[in-house]
Amino acid sequence: MITLTINEKEITLDKPMSVLDAARKAGIKIPTLCHHEALKPYGGCRLCVVEVERMPKLQNSCTLMAADGMVVRTESEEISRTRRGILEFLLINHPLDCPYCDKAGECELQDLVNRYGPTTGRYTEEKRKVPESHKDHILARNMERCVVCTRCVRMCNDVQGASAISVIGRGNRSRVEPFSSESFNCEYCGNCLTVCPVGAILSRLYIHSFRPWQLDREVETVCPYCGVGCSLVVQVRDDSIKRVIPRMDLGVNRGLLCSRGRFGYEYIHSEDRLRTPLVRKDGTLQQATWSEALDIVAAKLTAVKNAEGGASIAGIASPRCTNEDNYVFQRFMRTACGTNNIDSVSRTGFAAAQKYFEDLLGQGITANLLDGLKNSETILVLGDDPAAVNPVLGLSIREAARRGAGVIVVGYAKGLDKFRTLQVIPRVFREAEVLEEVLTGVFSDRGVRGDMPYVDKGIRELSDRISGKKTGIEGIDETVKKLLQSASTSIVLGMDIVQRSDGHRALFAVAGLTYLLEARLYLLSGRPNEQGLIDAGCVPDMLPGGRPVNVPDFRGKFEAVWKAAVPDREGLTLLEIIEGAGKGNIKALYVMGDNPVRNIPHSSFVKEALRSLDFLVVQDIFLSETAEMADVVLPALGWTEKSGTYTNLERRIQLLRKAVETSSGMEDWRILSELSRRMGVPASYSGPEDVMRELARVSPLHRDLTYGEIAAGDALWPYHGEPLRGEMYEVPEMPDGAKDYNADFYLAVDKPLFHSGTLSRRSRALMKICPEATVRIGAAGAAKLGLKEGDKVRLSTPAGSCEAPVSVDGTIMDNRVFLSGNFTGSGVYDLMNFSIDKITKAPGTEGCEVKIEKIQGRG
Amino acid sequence: MEKVLLKNIDNPNSADIGEYRKAGGYRSLAKALQMQPADIVEEVKKSGIRGRGGAGFPTAMKWNFAMADPKFPKYLICNADEGEPGTFKDRPILEKNPHLLIEGMVISGYALGAEYGYIYLRGEYPAAKDILEGAIEQAYKENFLGDDILGKGVRFRLSVHQGAGAYICGEETALIESIEGKKGQPRTKPPFPVNVGAWSMPTIVNNVETLSNIPYIIEIGGEAYSAIGSSDCPGPKLYCVSGFVENPGVYELPMGTSLRDIIYKHAGGIKDNGKLKAVIPGGISTPVLPADAIDCAMDFVAMPKAGSMLGSGAVIVMDESVCMVRVTYRAMKFFEHESCGKCTPCREGTDWLRKILERIEHGKGREGDINLLSDVAGVMSGRTFCPLGDGAAGVVTGMIKHFRSEFEEHIRDKQCKFRN
Repeated sequence: MITLTINEKEITLDKPMSVLDAARKAGIKIPTLCHHEALKPYGGCRLCVVEVERMPKLQNSCTLMAADGMVVRTESEEISRTRRGILEFLLINHPLDCPYCDKAGECELQDLVNRYGPTTGRYTEEKRKVPESHKDHILARNMERCVVCTRCVRMCNDVQGASAISVIGRGNRSRVEPFSSESFNCEYCGNCLTVCPVGAILSRLYIHSFRPWQLDREVETVCPYCGVGCSLVVQVRDDSIKRVIPRMDLGVNRGLLCSRGRFGYEYIHSEDRLRTPLVRKDGTLQQATWSEALDIVAAKLTAVKNAEGGASIAGIASPRCTNEDNYVFQRFMRTACGTNNIDSVSRTGFAAAQKYFEDLLGQGITANLLDGLKNSETILVLGDDPAAVNPVLGLSIREAARRGAGVIVVGYAKGLDKFRTLQVIPRVFREAEVLEEVLTGVFSDRGVRGDMPYVDKGIRELSDRISGKKTGIEGIDETVKKLLQSASTSIVLGMDIVQRSDGHRALFAVAGLTYLLEARLYLLSGRPNEQGLIDAGCVPDMLPGGRPVNVPDFRGKFEAVWKAAVPDREGLTLLEIIEGAGKGNIKALYVMGDNPVRNIPHSSFVKEALRSLDFLVVQDIFLSETAEMADVVLPALGWTEKSGTYTNLERRIQLLRKAVETSSGMEDWRILSELSRRMGVPASYSGPEDVMRELARVSPLHRDLTYGEIAAGDALWPYHGEPLRGEMYEVPEMPDGAKDYNADFYLAVDKPLFHSGTLSRRSRALMKICPEATVRIGAAGAAKLGLKEGDKVRLSTPAGSCEAPVSVDGTIMDNRVFLSGNFTGSGVYDLMNFSIDKITKAPGTEGCEVKIEKIQGRG
Repeated sequence: MEKVLLKNIDNPNSADIGEYRKAGGYRSLAKALQMQPADIVEEVKKSGIRGRGGAGFPTAMKWNFAMADPKFPKYLICNADEGEPGTFKDRPILEKNPHLLIEGMVISGYALGAEYGYIYLRGEYPAAKDILEGAIEQAYKENFLGDDILGKGVRFRLSVHQGAGAYICGEETALIESIEGKKGQPRTKPPFPVNVGAWSMPTIVNNVETLSNIPYIIEIGGEAYSAIGSSDCPGPKLYCVSGFVENPGVYELPMGTSLRDIIYKHAGGIKDNGKLKAVIPGGISTPVLPADAIDCAMDFVAMPKAGSMLGSGAVIVMDESVCMVRVTYRAMKFFEHESCGKCTPCREGTDWLRKILERIEHGKGREGDINLLSDVAGVMSGRTFCPLGDGAAGVVTGMIKHFRSEFEEHIRDKQCKFRN
């Protein structure tokens, strides 16, 4: 215990900290420009000087550790004089352009000068001139305003780990510049903007468009992009989002954001937003009134249900919609439409993996707090690049690495290249055999654990089957060794591994490792509410809260509340629904907030299937490729236009708040409620909170959960609920052996940092950062085809073809070429077909041979 | 006094290991390797030697701090970034007597449990680099460096790291940053390098001259050594005298030799029978002394009492023809150029001071400029991250204190009377 006195106030500290932090803790503000709570002490600005008894001169409080018995004064005549002097120094070369600097009003330098002076300057020499740089699309740099506090540089190096900028020059010629010179070649997290105390780095998205004091409101909400669920603050003027900022004390991200979260908000104001319902008349979609459109949908669905039965109707829910939307969606599908054919595009990865792990190891096995990652001793990264799929989660891995954790990457994770301690490169599409060998290695040392006999049995059988068969792949033994030594292990699983026709093999190996090592398991989640939609019941086999639909007791409870019958048989999964549509078994499909044509492999097959439907309803905020095919399109409200909750990949439930009124759409749940009423099964709610009240009443998982608790940040797994044990009492049989993939090139799915798809394509900033899809190819492959960076190529597969420029990536060592699915006309799923994994029901996308031809003349 | 550091220096082949051994070189190493490391440190402690880099910190105390830290490996760094204007005392050792330094480093490394050493060499000493590297190669060949030195199972590996010309890298933490491959900027202290230094490991940074004293301490014993020169900071000292003297150069004299004797007895007095005006006694960062203040002993204890500092022992002598405003301006131009930019007062203060001084020197001074100079220096003083800015402020304060009238004349006459 350290007790010190600051300004006559006695302060007791439970851990060592600087005098400045101790003062802050006691509510005493000491001015500073270089110190920042997210960064290590620096001691550069010299504004935080204080008097300490028995110390000869003023002390720098950010670098002085608090000591027992210290007596500190933070304000005095001498201190003020010093601060005034330092501020005068900072102003001598400053342009004093507050009248047109965007930082004015929230500038830390301005505030300090206002408080300590000087009121006039004595500097009469020429000022330093550094031209303002607008070369970058997103970030404007004005180095005349810079106070060289280096917060941005330290944020970029020490926290973000991007190391994209540095102070160049020396002394009073110091200035911050990206290594890539004028424009930035970085992750565009914009975290440098958060920490800049002055107007030296500004976002061009809002430059000269508002003054901080002109904002109408600030609304705390959650990011719409990925499953991390970062908290952010939306700043609004005239119902227009002016800026998105993080708060240091808020949410899982504690002040950090990624490019999508910070700069991707513009889609809400896109010209492409749907304004009115559309109804297909004479083959084209035409504007209609709400009542007209709703009547048509209700009548058509009722007709299909009456004629063909509820099982001929299916619904695709959305991991971008709220828990409330998804809950009402499944209620509507189950009761009004009479079908359990409810699934989502999450089945292509997250939902498939999540179900497998929960069935085997019990509910909640994937619910682990992000803080656990930072504190892990070893982190095993599989499947995807966490720093691209879930960027802020990726930062936790980087932080762990900085603290000395072992980071083992199986396959590729470009964003961790500078941080990993070991890389194991499996043979193409054969990650399972590597993971099985690792599991066997761990098992041969640790033996059975004994808690779950069927898992133990599965591991033993696997071990017997593959014993002695070594792949000889470098790094496996080292991985086993590290895992056995590690006291605290985390496994981070990307969904690329799930997308194999024998994907459950890898999943079993991951489950086995999780079980034997008592590891924390994190599933990367590219959409904001994948976990939430599962928990809300948008899966074919489970009611809300993960209760099996085929157990009459569970079903009965829901039927009592909903006052309607629920079908007793499990429904179809996503790909079965699509196949069912193609075969004519599914007649009507209701799609809420998703775009299956783009988000499911083999787009032409999906389109063909949808064309076979009698009736397709799409409810969305844009006229997506799927909506273009619909019979009725219903405009929904988007992020920041409505309230609700999301469940992040930690399974933390968080509140989204309405911030703007921009669209004439309706909340998703309200549309469904309207339809339900029209179809004779009333389901009315006064608002999203009312929906949550019902969910909290019927779902044992969400029991008694309130918006108050959620808003307070207390909605952490398992809430007040009771997790269920695993449902799988026997490990499904696994195919042995594997194919060799020896063709010249195979196509694989790229997951870029800057894009999500429909939303990001309509965010101008993200389009400026990354305007088009590129084909990422290894150096050897590029050399073989004589391709250079930027060359345009045509990719063709049996499923389709597209054209895109090449990006040569020296870190890819195998014969895969990567293409993202985010851009119309060059989506990876346009070119892929799939086979279904019989256990997980996810699409296997491996082995897609691709022909690459250079198109003459640079594109 | 017998020459210790500059021994054998007139031999044109003094840098060769054969010549060095002929003159008794590497015998101290052989002797030291018979001793226990703790006994070596004890001898160094008894010798009373204080670091020759400028601050005069007791060497044995620094060593003990590093040895008390249980972390390994430990690093021994020789600070050969001799950048203080007026200073060229280490250069003859580096160029003429490199094996003395190497021998000192091996003994020190053995005593400290450090198996890796670096010589951080000033970027502007290219000749010294070749000589040092040649000497290191010879020492490896003859088994004075390597993994089994003199067959005693002692390891010490040594290499030269050349700086890129930044004055700040003479500051030990900036030097360590530079060795690590980073931009040379000082680190926050504490933790001190003896605990958290190069690559976060305990690191001892000693000056060339300090380390070159170690073989002699081992040779004659700490007690005998402590009898040389001043009693509270003993040993031989290199004084480098420049400016308006008859015989500028490096003089090895007992610590505590009076400044007057250094100038008049050893350096031959003022050039062309001129009249002494001022002396900067320890390199540009130490406060100037007027002509009547030179009867002081040049050591770490007496100089502060005389109103300046021993610093690096770089005596810069100025006669009546020298314009003190111009000296101040030139000094500030140096500090402004060398300020690393990390802390506000040094980065902005040196820039501002230089601009004001430049103006005064060029006849464009204004009333109030002297107060402004004092004010700016006052804000800097004691507020900068490292001593660089303090030194810069001290030059201005010292010059105004002793030569205020010259500043006033410049401003009043709107010209520099020393210019033709």
